[in-house]
Amino acid sequence: MAADCTVKARPAHRIVRIAEDGRPRIEAYRCENCGAVTDSQTMACRACASRKPPASFGVGRTGKLWSWSVVHRSYPGVAVPFISVIVDLDDGLTLKGTLRGVDTSGLRQGLPVRLVFDDAGGAHDKEGVPYVGFHFVPQGDA
Amino acid sequence: MMSDVYIAGADMIAFGRYPDRAYFQLGAEAALMALDDAGLSIKDMGAVYASSVFNAQSMLGQKMLKEIGQTGVPCINVSNACASGATAVREAFVAIKSGLYDAVIAVGAEQNPRGMLGGAPPFGPPPEGLFGSESMPAVFAEAGMVHAARYGTTVEQFAQVAVKNHHHATMNPKAYYRRETPLEEVLASEIIAEPLTKLMCSANVDGAAAVVLVSERKARELGMGRAVRIRASVLASDPYEPRNPEMFDPNSVTRLAAAQAYEMAGLGPDALDLVELHDCFATAELLHYENLGLCGDGEAGRLIDSGATALGGAIPVNVSGGLLSKGHPIGATGVANIVEIVEHLRGQAGARQVDGARIGLAHVLGFGAAAGVHILEKA
Repeated sequence: MAADCTVKARPAHRIVRIAEDGRPRIEAYRCENCGAVTDSQTMACRACASRKPPASFGVGRTGKLWSWSVVHRSYPGVAVPFISVIVDLDDGLTLKGTLRGVDTSGLRQGLPVRLVFDDAGGAHDKEGVPYVGFHFVPQGDA
Repeated sequence: MMSDVYIAGADMIAFGRYPDRAYFQLGAEAALMALDDAGLSIKDMGAVYASSVFNAQSMLGQKMLKEIGQTGVPCINVSNACASGATAVREAFVAIKSGLYDAVIAVGAEQNPRGMLGGAPPFGPPPEGLFGSESMPAVFAEAGMVHAARYGTTVEQFAQVAVKNHHHATMNPKAYYRRETPLEEVLASEIIAEPLTKLMCSANVDGAAAVVLVSERKARELGMGRAVRIRASVLASDPYEPRNPEMFDPNSVTRLAAAQAYEMAGLGPDALDLVELHDCFATAELLHYENLGLCGDGEAGRLIDSGATALGGAIPVNVSGGLLSKGHPIGATGVANIVEIVEHLRGQAGARQVDGARIGLAHVLGFGAAAGVHILEKA
């Protein structure tokens, strides 16, 4: 078997999907009966118990800040401070993540942010395969 | 007709650090104290409900019975996050209510791991910091910030919860922290996750507490003088919320349990003389003022400012010192909150006694999520 010259990265977070061409995307699930959105493929709808499994849909990367905390002490070995945020994505999924590239004085509910895929802090698995993670930046930033 | 359920015995060990004792010994001690309080023996107990989180798989109930008497009765070991203790009491309530037993005991016992609790199991690279924070302080900081953004609640109002509960704890010999912490000190202590400083986070301690539940027939046999009637015993799991579980929602599950408890008791928050609620972090206490209906939505900041929730106020909250200062041995907490209410209803709470207390509410919240609400009344 020929060696694969392009190593497909692995998701660093359960919400990240990686296509055959290696491009990451965010996928969520919506109930066709009641419209409830969830982050995982459940057997029935978590909100209305409809037996029709929620259908997957691609989630856009823009959203708005719902809540946040500037974390000054975390578990041993975790670099601080960082800004932990809750973001309501415009397509209807809420995600927790780290917000970068913003002064803490600019934090406010409703701040428009964008999800950016990253290399999950440069992490690799045991076989040296890289990970794909994400963080948030204020909209307008790269 | 189904019998009312009464608490005939209630007690707890002082919360603190017990490095030289095992969790089941702490539980066994609390069990004996509650049995003595009831004037009953372990041989009178038809079943044992034992709660723990960090020792949930260890057969806690059976290990306790090996300390105090292996009577052969069913031991039901429960784990339900920070609502574990309330879950054990609720199961004990159901057992008496069913008519199957005349007397059962519910015991919560815990030795917490040291350090900051919480965190997701690792999947790929450790998620903490890469994908925000899963630490409990950050989770409850974010829940508080939603309230602050919507209603203008200030960091000083959150901090006043710590000032109040630490003050209350100075009157509770079983509390872990028994020291006044003025507002300036609370605000100046180490920032953990904004707006929470270290003094706004619950004390990580070991502990155990127990209650003996009996049928009406047994309560009359023992004498009703010290009996406490359980007007409501409710446990709820979290309903769907669009942001949950990415953002833990401490509110909807508590509101669900509270509404059911008020309905079961046939009374409303106005009837309460005191409340022990789940102040795992200072932000949480203000959220639960509204979740339990002690004030309207958006009014929690004003309620703490008014002094109404301090001892001597209209509706004293966490006069035990709460989780913030009494301490939070996870599996014991939900039982200890009930023990505190019982002491007040009996008029035995010493310097922190809420005068003339007749009805009290105990609430706990488990991450994941579960909420327990008990409403107790002097019989």
